[in-house]
Order: sequence, then structure tokens, then C-alpha cells
Amino acid sequence: MKARKVLSSITFRTIARYVVVLSATVFLLLAALYGYFTYTYFSDMSDSIVDELDTLELIYRGQSLPGVEQYIDDQRSDHAVDRYYYLVMDAQGAKVAGDLPSTSRYSEFSGGWLGFQMDLLELGASVDADFLARPVVFDDGYKAIVARNYADAVEKTGLVFRTLIRAMIATLLLGLIGGYFSASATLDRVERLKSELSTVIRGGPGQRLYVGKELGSVRELAVLMNDILNQMESLMQGVRRVSDNIAHDLRTPLTRMRNHLSVLRSGLDHSSGEEVENIIEECDDLLASFNALLRISALEAGSALSGGSKIELSTLLCDVVELYEPVAEEKGVKLLFETSQLQYCTGEVDLLFQMFANLVDNAVKYTPVNGVVEVRLQLRPPQGTAAGVNSIIIADSGPGIGLADRKNVFRRFFRVESSRGEQPGHGLGLSLVQAIVLYHRGSIELGNNNPGLQVRVKLPLATS
Amino acid sequence: MNILLVEDDRDVGDFICSELVSAGHSCVRKLNGEDGLREALCSAFDVLVIDRMLPVMDGITLIKTLRNGGSRTPILVLSALGEVDDRVRGLHSGADDYLVKPFSMAELLARLEVLHRRASIPVTGATTSLLVEGMQMDLLSQRVTRQGVTISLQPREYKLLEYLMRHAGQVVTRAMLLEHVWGYHFDPQTNVIDVHVSRLRQKIDKDFEPALLVTVRGAGYRLGPEAQ
Repeated sequence: MKARKVLSSITFRTIARYVVVLSATVFLLLAALYGYFTYTYFSDMSDSIVDELDTLELIYRGQSLPGVEQYIDDQRSDHAVDRYYYLVMDAQGAKVAGDLPSTSRYSEFSGGWLGFQMDLLELGASVDADFLARPVVFDDGYKAIVARNYADAVEKTGLVFRTLIRAMIATLLLGLIGGYFSASATLDRVERLKSELSTVIRGGPGQRLYVGKELGSVRELAVLMNDILNQMESLMQGVRRVSDNIAHDLRTPLTRMRNHLSVLRSGLDHSSGEEVENIIEECDDLLASFNALLRISALEAGSALSGGSKIELSTLLCDVVELYEPVAEEKGVKLLFETSQLQYCTGEVDLLFQMFANLVDNAVKYTPVNGVVEVRLQLRPPQGTAAGVNSIIIADSGPGIGLADRKNVFRRFFRVESSRGEQPGHGLGLSLVQAIVLYHRGSIELGNNNPGLQVRVKLPLATS
Repeated sequence: MNILLVEDDRDVGDFICSELVSAGHSCVRKLNGEDGLREALCSAFDVLVIDRMLPVMDGITLIKTLRNGGSRTPILVLSALGEVDDRVRGLHSGADDYLVKPFSMAELLARLEVLHRRASIPVTGATTSLLVEGMQMDLLSQRVTRQGVTISLQPREYKLLEYLMRHAGQVVTRAMLLEHVWGYHFDPQTNVIDVHVSRLRQKIDKDFEPALLVTVRGAGYRLGPEAQ
């Protein structure tokens, strides 16, 4: 899986393409060089053969056959590695002098050049050698052939050629392997960035990428992403701040208005007084939602709970249930509370009370007549690495919340469409609940109670 | 009531002062902590209303200084901050009550009355019974009778009635009931308290004349006729 990912990554493909093109270029260059050297080698060789023939002819003219024989013998005893081979024949084709057999089969090249193959005994070992030769005919029918062995050169160039091919394959392989590793390293860094980004998405806008170890462009990229996150966060904060500021700034004049209204009310007759009372109630409603909004923001903006006191949850929940019992009873809803032991968490009692009160309030509010609201407190003891947790379930038999809305109900001012207008509220109750739960490092989940809504709140156990 | 208000916001201060005066109290106003401290030390007041955030000397320091000097005048702290933490710190510094801005004047007045009454009635040892207009509560046996008829109450109803009887004739707000009867400081979204009060009313007022438990619109409840 990983190998496929690496092979298809852009880094690997770029490196592979580069290595192939580089090898091909190097091959072409070396081939051209080879051609050039071969050409000059053979032209040098043929020139030297022509020179040697000229020498032989000169000697023959001056000293006749014995001189030539003498010369050839001298040359042979030289034992030079790269020497000339000779054959001198009479007009009938019988060998007169030299070290080449007269029976060799020549293949004829253009321009009077001959090529032949012959077993050459050289330092005792038989070598299959290639020769380049050129004949010359002296004045009186004698014929001489001078040849040079080029097998060495061929072998050497062959060696060079094979080495070249091997080197090229090695280059290709090493390049590809290197490419694979560097691509996988790059991929790893990208994967790391990816996983960090997904933690950022999960962990909220406050999270940042860790840049510490990165270098170069990946670092720049990470820094850039962090900048984007900063910008996003400040935008989000800006939006929140604007709504907070509105709430905050409107609170004071609204209170003043409310107070003036209450002054006004005292001087009014009954029916006008009623009107003013209603306006005052509207003001109180607005103020309550502004306060709730500011409270949510304060809870979210602050860091999680520090300090706090040890709170016994069954007592707290019992108080909440008891507070709402008359309301439930009046509505014809059964409110049940189930607990089996004392359970403690650390927190702020008023906030927790507010949270559970909101949840129970909602549950009672949305449960129809003859319905049941159950509050259950359970203890999940620590298991393995999982820390123990207080689990509180508030389940009702109301209409529940559709899957699509479950995420949204925690958003500020969100109200499930069906409850709009039917039930009073600002759509801040659950936002406040969530803010309080998170403030206490807990979690909240909505589930189906078949029928109804099941709210599961988890709060960490008190440490000590 | 003779009230000292230490508040740096002129608008808010003016409003509170004029409201207190129109409610029949006298009000002295100071704009910063130091002036407030000087005034509180020089003259006698029934209740002090002190803003938390004040120039020169902040409200908490002012209260601590007063308490360290032996002053026992009831103090109510006003604060724009509404965090639970602030409330606890405010009360720890020696304040008797705490109110978050913005508040309704009715809430402030009700709380000031309660503070004043509590301070002005000398603690005469252990009170064993409360009496309001023919309704008697025996605190030892926890029995309530009205015009000789025993009224049976649930524990919470009993506590609610006890609080109302202790503050008979005064306006008691819903927030005050939550704080003192239920022991939690929170903001109920709905009329929970009203349901509790109406149940209590069923028990103590239904079969009797006159009705004792009165709803004061825009403020809260009052048991018995308005105290003079």
C-alpha cells in the first residue's frame, strides 16, 4: 500500500524521469565518443600500415628480398606487444618470409584493405584475433602483406562498453532506489502534515501544526498553514466578539429601558400597567438571552476548569430532579431518578447545576403528557488505559432530535425547526450545556431513546 | 435606609441613586474606591453598594479594608463580570451579597431590604418559631399551622416557606429563592420557581383568608402585607 503510494507520488515520478533522461543522455554522449575514438584508432592503424608497407618497399628496392627478410626478423624479435605482422609471397603465392600463414582467408574491404581472423599464439596462449591488413605488389611479382592486430583494441572497447552499460544500469537502479527513499521521506512529511491537519480539524481552531523539526519548504508550508489557521481563528473570534459586543453593549441600555419602564409602570392604571408589564417581560427575556450568550462566550474563551471543588453528583442531580418534579407533575410527565452510589467530580457546582437543569428542563419541556423522563447516574470504572468516568443519562420520551440536527443543536441560537414557535426558548440552552460540559473536560452525546432523546454526559471522576 | 453607593459609571450611578430615592431611601454616591472608603468610615450607613471595578481602589480591596477595620455594615457587590469565580471571591472578601450587572432595580431593592433587615434585627439567640399573620412555624418540630390548622409540607416546601416567613413583608426575588432555598446560583430557563411557589400557595392560602403569598410582578414574591 505504502509502496504504491510512494511510487505514484510526484516526487518519485519526477526523480525517475530525471534519472532515465540523464542515463539516456550520458549513453548517447559516450556512444558518440566511442564512435570517434574507434574511427581515429582505425585511421591511425591504417596510416601506420601504409607507412610500414612504404618502408618494406623501400627496403626491397634497396636490399632486395634478403633485406626484407632481415627486417622482418628484426621486427619479430622485438617482442613488442603491438607489432606488425608480415607475409611476403612470390608470384606463385608461396610464402617467402613473414609470420602470417599464406592460407588465411581474407575478406576484402574497400580501398584495398583486407580483414582476416587468425589464431594467434601469443605468450603461449591461443588468442582469436582480428587483423587489419594491406597488400602491396613489388616490381617483380613479389607480394607483401602487412597486418596489425586490433583484437586488443576491440576487447578494450568492448570492456569499456560493457562497463558503461553496467554503470548505466547501476545509475538507473540507484537513482530509482534513491528516488524511492526520498519520495517516501517527502511522503512521510506530507503524511505527517496531513495527520496534524486532521487533528487541527478535530481539535478546533486553537490547534496549530508543529513546525519544530521541519526544514525548508515543508516548514514554510507548515508555517503558512499556521498563518491561515491564525487568520481563521481570529476571524472566528472576530465574529464571536462582534456578537458578544452587541450583547454586551445592548445589555446596559436595555436594562436602563427596563428600569425606566418599571418606573413608568408605577404611575399607570391597571390596563396600561399590564401592557408595560409585558414589555418589561420582553426586556427580561432579551436580557436573559444576552446574559446566556455572554456566559457561553466567557466559558468558551477561558481555559478549562482549574481548581473547583469536589462535587457529589447524586446529590446534585437529586436537587435538579426535585426542582423540576412539580413542573413535570403539572405537565403529567413522570420524572425518574436512578442512582446507586455516591459519585464525585471536580467542578463548579452552580455551573453543573445549571447544565443539568437545562437538560432536565428541555427533557420535561419536550416530553408529551404521560411521557417519562429518566435521569440515570452511572459510574464507569477505569478500564485499562481508559480513565473512569461519571456517566449521566437524561432520557425522555419526546419527539427526539433527528440525526441531521444533532450536531447543530449545540450551535448558538439554533432551534429545531419543529419546535420553533411551539416552545419558548432562545436556542441557547444546549450551547450553554455544551460549554459547561467542555469547561469541565467532559463530553456530551445525543442518542436515540426509541422514542425520544437520550443525552449522555460524561464527566471525569474527581481526582482524589 | 441610608445607602452608600460607590460606582464609577455616572449613568448607572445616577439611575440607581434616583431609584433608591424614589423608593424612599437616601443615597450618597462616590465615584472611586478611596472616596468610598473615606465616606464609609466617616458616616454611618445601613447598607453599602459597591461596584467591583473602581478607579483608585477596587471594590474587593475596599471591602477587605472595611472588614479588617471591624465594620459590620452589610455590603452588596455589583459586578459586570458574571463568572462563578468572581462571585465566590466577592463573597469571600467579606461582602454579604453579590449582584451581576445588569440587574433589575427590583432585584437590587429586594436584596438591600433583606440585607438591611438581617443586620438591623439583633440576633436574639436561637429563634424557635416564626409567626406571620396567624401562620406559625415551629422550627424545632418543623410543624406549620395556620389559624390552628396544621399544614403538612414537603421538605422543600417547608424550606421555601421558612425563607419567605423569615423575610415576611419583603419582596423576595426568584434568584434569591434559588440561592437560599435550593442553594444554587443559576438562571432557570423556565418558570420552575413559580410552580413551586404556586404549590406552596395551594397549601397555605387555599383554605384561608386573606391570601398571604403574593406575586409581585416584575420582581418576585412577598409573604404577608408589605412591611413598612
